[in-house]
Amino acid sequence: MRKINLYKIFSRIAVIVVLCIFSLANKSIAADSTSANRINIDLSRMSATMVYSMVFQMVTEPQKFIGKRIKMKGAFSSYQDEETGRRFFGCVIKDALACCSQGLAFEAFKPRKYPKDFPREGSPITIIGRFDYEKEDDGIGFPIIRNAIFIE
Amino acid sequence: MLDQLLFYLDFPFVRYAIIVGTLISLCSSLLGVTLVLKRYSYIGDGLSHVAFGALAIAAVLKVTNNMFIILPITVAVAVLLLCGGKDAQIKGDAAIAMVSAGSLAIGYLLMNIFSASGNVAGDVCTTLFGSMSILTLKPTDVYLCVALSIVVLITFVLFYHKIFAITFDENFARATGVNVNLFNLLIAIIIAVIIVLAMNLVGALLVSALVVFPALSAMRVFKSFFTVTIAAAVISVVCSLTGILVAILAGTPVGSTIVAMDIVVFLVCYITSAIRNKKA
Repeated sequence: MRKINLYKIFSRIAVIVVLCIFSLANKSIAADSTSANRINIDLSRMSATMVYSMVFQMVTEPQKFIGKRIKMKGAFSSYQDEETGRRFFGCVIKDALACCSQGLAFEAFKPRKYPKDFPREGSPITIIGRFDYEKEDDGIGFPIIRNAIFIE
Repeated sequence: MLDQLLFYLDFPFVRYAIIVGTLISLCSSLLGVTLVLKRYSYIGDGLSHVAFGALAIAAVLKVTNNMFIILPITVAVAVLLLCGGKDAQIKGDAAIAMVSAGSLAIGYLLMNIFSASGNVAGDVCTTLFGSMSILTLKPTDVYLCVALSIVVLITFVLFYHKIFAITFDENFARATGVNVNLFNLLIAIIIAVIIVLAMNLVGALLVSALVVFPALSAMRVFKSFFTVTIAAAVISVVCSLTGILVAILAGTPVGSTIVAMDIVVFLVCYITSAIRNKKA
């Protein structure tokens, strides 16, 4: 009797698993839109866990996101490459332990002077811009939000 | 909140997390009952640390699919620990403690010396606490996890009566013709596979919780091996699903949220059992 019950339970679990696997085929990127000015991916609506995961997807599979309009909320951060002299700006999402922080580099829509025209390091910012992937000379690249505008 | 949840469910990686989380929690709870009853509750912790050490080796060797390194090493250590038997020179908890601390130390050392990543602290934090790793799975990881989980489930169902026999009394099982050594080996391999899979869900340091809590919760309320196994599976799956959903909605780390759910259910089961015993 017990053996029969176990097989029944197992078969039901197997059916659920198969249904879930089929649902995997139904891939989509949420909030996709065809309109040029609409935001395709609004990270500012998402929880920190979701933002971290979403940014991870953007960093590991950038080709899926190129050209999409992104809205993002995080902490302002900047860094200067000592070799090239180029200054990078970033929007960073910190986790509780600050060990798994994720962020995206951005490029301001209008040329601005640093630090006068930028927020203070670590202050909260919200930006909107178009996702791109910048390839460096050595073939290694990084994702960047182009034409970023600051939202007050 | 429901709108937000439906919005999140539209992302493939959230659906992957739910599928993998359900399967891993189901598999870990089934074997959890056997491990708790055989007094091997801490083996999950030891093996997860071994898997962490193996992950560091895979990172150093720059292996594309680190599962090819992690799985064989963890299985080998599980077999050594669980099938060493009475002839082993270092036994029981001492062997687990030695392997556990040693692997963790070597893993961290290797990650620091040879890491190709710029964020060693982040890599270690994610691997140890499973902060977000379940939400960063790729389709190939999901298919591998589904395949391994199905193998574990089929093995458990097919050999349920043999596992039941050796869980309670190995000598009696041996006397009735069960090849105890072979089934101990099988259990060791399955446990290693589950631990490696569960690292993605809750991280190396919290794997034991996934193995132990559902079994202990079910044991407070139910008494037979069969009902405890089914209840542990249900508790584990419900806690994992709730934990994942709460984590993505509230923005908390996935692994620790799942374990917090397990603790809450354990307390509820404990109080229920205490009230029932008082009435009886």
